[in-house]
Amino acid sequence: MESVILAASECDVSQEIICAPQDVLELFFFKDALFTIGGFHFTRTVFLIFLAMFIVLGLLYFGLRKGEKVPSKFSSAIEALVTFVKEDIAIGIIGPEGVKYAPYLLAVFMFVIVGNLFEVTPLINFPITSRMAIPLFISLVTWVIFVIVGFKKNGLRYLGDLIWPKSVPVALRWLVGIIEFVSTFLLRPITLAVRLFANLVAGHLMLTLLLASGWIFMSSVGDIGVRSIIGLPWFVFGLGIYVFEIVVAVLQAYIITLLSAVYVQTSVHPEH
Amino acid sequence: MEEIKGAIALVGYGLAAIGPGIGIGIVVGNAIQAMARQPEAAGMARTTMFLGIAFTEALALIGFVLFFIA
Repeated sequence: MESVILAASECDVSQEIICAPQDVLELFFFKDALFTIGGFHFTRTVFLIFLAMFIVLGLLYFGLRKGEKVPSKFSSAIEALVTFVKEDIAIGIIGPEGVKYAPYLLAVFMFVIVGNLFEVTPLINFPITSRMAIPLFISLVTWVIFVIVGFKKNGLRYLGDLIWPKSVPVALRWLVGIIEFVSTFLLRPITLAVRLFANLVAGHLMLTLLLASGWIFMSSVGDIGVRSIIGLPWFVFGLGIYVFEIVVAVLQAYIITLLSAVYVQTSVHPEH
Repeated sequence: MEEIKGAIALVGYGLAAIGPGIGIGIVVGNAIQAMARQPEAAGMARTTMFLGIAFTEALALIGFVLFFIA
């Protein structure tokens, strides 16, 4: 149980109970570098990014290794995961030519799911996707992919159909065109990034506040006596949220992959 | 009149959560109805339901982030 509380270890228990980050900008910039190599700051987040990368590589390498006569349970599970992303998301959403995008979608899915599950991993308890840089980078890569695919498949008609839609009455075309342009090129990457980011920040905050307040109340039984029992419902509620956050972590990884596929699909077949 | 304390951004987040709350309710309710009527199309309905939830939820999440920024 100690490890669950590690997330709250930044709180100063002896003072007032302040668990909110002292500086909100921490969410948007990497601060407090442990050390610096050639201009690259290594922080806890950067280490966890590399850890997530190695975990993903290890899972895929050992899961899909050739040469086993009878696939083990682990291999079957990884294979099922890869098949799910390839068949259900890539081919199911984009269509037969979605096989081309399956590697990218698999990379996004695996990295985000591992990064999200760090939130509920004991001793880590920190989702790397709750720092804006990572969801923003993923959504910008998706943005670049679907814009390039759109222009490659449809040429300049991609932009033309977007800002001058033929299926709308002439008088309204400019208005719909502006809305479509803004929502496609500006709102899509922003919402894609903010959705993942905000879900994970909210979950991390809830877990920290509930478990920390429960733990702090219960551990101060010597000072405030029987009133420390108030910490128990907080702690139990926090453990309930803990299970809920596992679901959220997996679901958000699925959703960001699904939406990336949908955005690519709208560029491949702009009529729909 | 006593002084009202607190951050106005909290009220903003509360307002931003109303619409998506109703919206997600409508999306999930209709998806359940679709799945109950046509269980063979449940897979498609579920995927589309998650898409709808994701699009609807974005508004609430933007409100949540603005609460931090403001």
